[in-house]
Amino acid sequence: MLFNSLEFFVFLPIVFALYWGIGSKHIKAQNLLIALASYVFYGWWDWRFLSLILFSSLVDYSIGRALGKAEKTSKRKVLLWISICVNLGFLGFFKYYNFFIDSLVSSFTFFGSELSINTLNIILPVGISFYTFQTLSYTIDVYNKKLEPTNNFVGFMAFVSFFPQLVAGPIERATNLLPQFSVKRNFDYNRAVDGLRQVLWGLFKKVVIADNCAKYANMIFNNHTEYNGSTLLLGAFFFAFQIYGDFSGYSDIAIGISRLFGFNLKRNFAFPYFSRDIAEFWRRWHISLSTWFRDYLYIPLGGSRGGTKMKVRNTFIIFIVSGFWHGANWTFIVWGALNAIYFLPLLLANKNRVNTNLVAEGRYLPNLKELGQMAITFFITLIAWVFFRADNVGHAFDYLKGTFNASLFSWVEIFPTTILGLLAIFLVIEWLGRSYEYAIENVDFMKRPVRWSFYVVLIIIMFLFTGEEQEFIYFQF
Amino acid sequence: MKRFLKHIAFFFFLAIIVGEVVVRLTHAMSDIPQRTIDESGIQKYYPNQEGYWKGGDHKWMINEMGWPGQLPENYEDLVLVIGDSFIENFMNPNDCHQAIYLKENLPNYNFMEAARSGVSLIEAMEIHEQLDSLRPKHTLIYVNDYDFFESIVEVRPMRDITQLDLEKKEIVYGEMKAPVFKKVLYNWKLLYYFYNRFPINLSLKSDNEQDKTDVEPRSNELQSKDEIFELIDYIATHYEVNGKSLVFHPNSNEDIIEKCKQVGFNTIRLDSSNDKDWTFDYDSHWTCYGHKKVAEQVSDALLTANMLKE
Repeated sequence: MLFNSLEFFVFLPIVFALYWGIGSKHIKAQNLLIALASYVFYGWWDWRFLSLILFSSLVDYSIGRALGKAEKTSKRKVLLWISICVNLGFLGFFKYYNFFIDSLVSSFTFFGSELSINTLNIILPVGISFYTFQTLSYTIDVYNKKLEPTNNFVGFMAFVSFFPQLVAGPIERATNLLPQFSVKRNFDYNRAVDGLRQVLWGLFKKVVIADNCAKYANMIFNNHTEYNGSTLLLGAFFFAFQIYGDFSGYSDIAIGISRLFGFNLKRNFAFPYFSRDIAEFWRRWHISLSTWFRDYLYIPLGGSRGGTKMKVRNTFIIFIVSGFWHGANWTFIVWGALNAIYFLPLLLANKNRVNTNLVAEGRYLPNLKELGQMAITFFITLIAWVFFRADNVGHAFDYLKGTFNASLFSWVEIFPTTILGLLAIFLVIEWLGRSYEYAIENVDFMKRPVRWSFYVVLIIIMFLFTGEEQEFIYFQF
Repeated sequence: MKRFLKHIAFFFFLAIIVGEVVVRLTHAMSDIPQRTIDESGIQKYYPNQEGYWKGGDHKWMINEMGWPGQLPENYEDLVLVIGDSFIENFMNPNDCHQAIYLKENLPNYNFMEAARSGVSLIEAMEIHEQLDSLRPKHTLIYVNDYDFFESIVEVRPMRDITQLDLEKKEIVYGEMKAPVFKKVLYNWKLLYYFYNRFPINLSLKSDNEQDKTDVEPRSNELQSKDEIFELIDYIATHYEVNGKSLVFHPNSNEDIIEKCKQVGFNTIRLDSSNDKDWTFDYDSHWTCYGHKKVAEQVSDALLTANMLKE
C-alpha cells in the first residue's frame, strides 16, 4: 500500500478511528491493532512475505528473552550471532544471492574458466533492509545491555512491523521506539496537528517534487547519449531532487503518521542539500541509517580511534557497506566508495566536525563562503548520485563522460519551467524552515485563516502539478 | 479529540469547496455532456450542449440533433459519418472533425457526424436507420475489431451498449449505466477529478475515456470468428448495406474485412504506417493531424472507387 494511494487514504482513517476508539487505557489492544493493521498494510503488497516478518519477530523476540536470562558471555555471543545470521541470512538470500552468483560467474569467466550456477528468480520483499536492521538493533542493544528484553510479544510485533515506517524507514532503534509500545499514549491535539502538517509536507515532496523530477531524470538518464553535457548535468540535478523528495517525503509522512498515533520517531533528514561539507551532508542525510552504521559497525570496528590506516579502513568499510545496503549492484558500491573518498580528507585533517551548527544561523541569506561551500558539496553529491541512479557502472561513466566536455557550456536541451519554478519555491520554503524539524513546522505564527489557506494551496498544487505516480524509490532497498 | 475532528471536518469542507472552484476554473476535468435514450432506443446527447475539454484549450459542442460537431449547411448530397469516440472526437476542437476535413476534400458533398463513444457496429447500423430520413447519399461507418466483438451479447455482454443477441436474433438496446452516480460525478468536478486520479474498479470510467484498443490484446487470429461472421450475416440480412462504407482502423483483422466485403459493404482500410503523430501520446485517439490523414485516405478511397456515384 502506497502512502500516496487511495487505499491508504481509506486505510488510515479507519485505523486511526479504531485505535483511538479503543482508548489509551487499553495499550495491549492498541498494540494488537497496530500489529494487525501493519500486517494488512504490508500484506496488501504481497501477503506471502508476512511470514518473513513474523519469523524475524519471533526469532529476535525469543533471542532477546534468552539474552535476558543468559549470564555467560559465550552463550550471549552465540545468541547474538544466531540473530545476526538469521536476519542477515534472509537479507543476503533475498537481496544479494543473485548478485553474488553473477559476480562469481563473471570472475571465473574473467580468469578463463567456466562456472555454471544459475541465478534464482527471487522477489525482493519490500522494506526487508529496513525491518531487518530494526530488529537487529533490538538484539544488539539487549546484548550490550542498553535495553531490557521485552516480554510483550504483541508490542514487539508492533515495533517490528509498525506500518508508518515498515517499508522505507526511518530505521528506528529499539531503545527509542520499543518502550513507546509499553506506555500509555494519550491523544494530543497539537502533536496530531503537527503530524498531519508533516504528512502534508511529505506528500508535497513526493508527488510534486520527486514525481515531477523523476519524469525528467528518467528521460535524461535513459537516453543520455542524445543530450549535451549541460542537459545531463540537469538530469543529475533532477535525480538529486527526485531522491531527496522521494525519501525525505516518505520519512516525513512516516513520522507524521506516527505522531497521529502518539508515537515519536527519530528525524531522518535535516536539509542535507544545505550542507557545507560532505561530513555535514552525511549527518543530515538518511540519519537513521548513518547512525545505525556508526553505532553498530563503525564504532565496534574502532571508529576514528587508532592510526590513519585504521581510520581509512573503517571509513571505506562503512561507506561501502552503506552503499551495498542500498542494493546488489556495483553502482551502489562505487557510490559508497566515492563518498568515502569525499569524506576521508575531512576526517584525516580532523575537519569533519567543523560545520555542526546551522548554516547562516540567524540570517536570511548565507554569505558568499557558505554559498560556495554549499554549491561545492551539492555538486560533488551530484556526481555521486550519477552512480546511484545509473543502471551499471559503465552507464555512469558514459554519463559523466557525456557531461564533462565542451557541450557542458552549451544551453540545456530540456528546460521544464514549471518543475524548475516549483523547485525554486520548494527550496525557498526549505531554506526558511531549515532550523526546524521539517520546513513548514513553524507556521503557527500565521493566523488560522492564513495558515489554513497555505495548507489548501499546498494541496491544490499537489493535485494540479502531481507527477506520474511512482513507487517510493527506497521501497526497493 | 473532539476539537481535532471538528477542525479536520471543517478543513476538509473548506478544501473541498476551494478544490471544486479550482478544478472548475482550471478545467482540470473535461465537462461531460448529458445523455438520454430516445424513443428508438438510441443513446444520444441532449441537444445544444457545450463544454470544455480537459485543460480548457477548446470546447466541444452537441448540435441540435443531439450529436457532437457541427451540422452541415444543408442535407443535399449528404454523407453520414457514424462512429464511436474517434468520431465523437471531444478531445479535438470542432474544426478538427472528420466532417470538416472531408468537406474540405470533397466540397460538393455535405457531411454530418453521428457519433458517441462506445457505439458498437450494430448500434451504428441502428443509428443509420434512424437518420435514413435524411436520405444520405452515402454512409461512412468507422469501425475497429472491437466494434464487432462488442456488438454481440454472447461474446462480450455490455449492458450500456446496443448489442445483438445471436441466439434470439434480436437487438438488445443499451441502458444508461448508473445514471444517478454519473450525474453526481460529472457535476461534482472535484469528485470526478479524484475518481480519475485514483481509479477504483467500478467500471464507471468516463465514457469519453474508454480506450477500446486497450480492452483486448491484438492478435492475428480472429477470436469468436463464428459469432462475428454470424453478426455480419445478420446485418447484411436486416439492414441495407449498399451505399455504406466501413472504414477500418489500421491493423484491423483481415478476415473481418473480407467477410464484410463478401456481404456487400464497401470497405476502406486506413493505414497509419506506424506514424506516431496520428495518435495522442496519452491515449489512442487521433490527433488533428491524424484526423486530417484519415480524411485524406477516406476521400481518396471514395473517389477512386467511385463510391459516391452509386
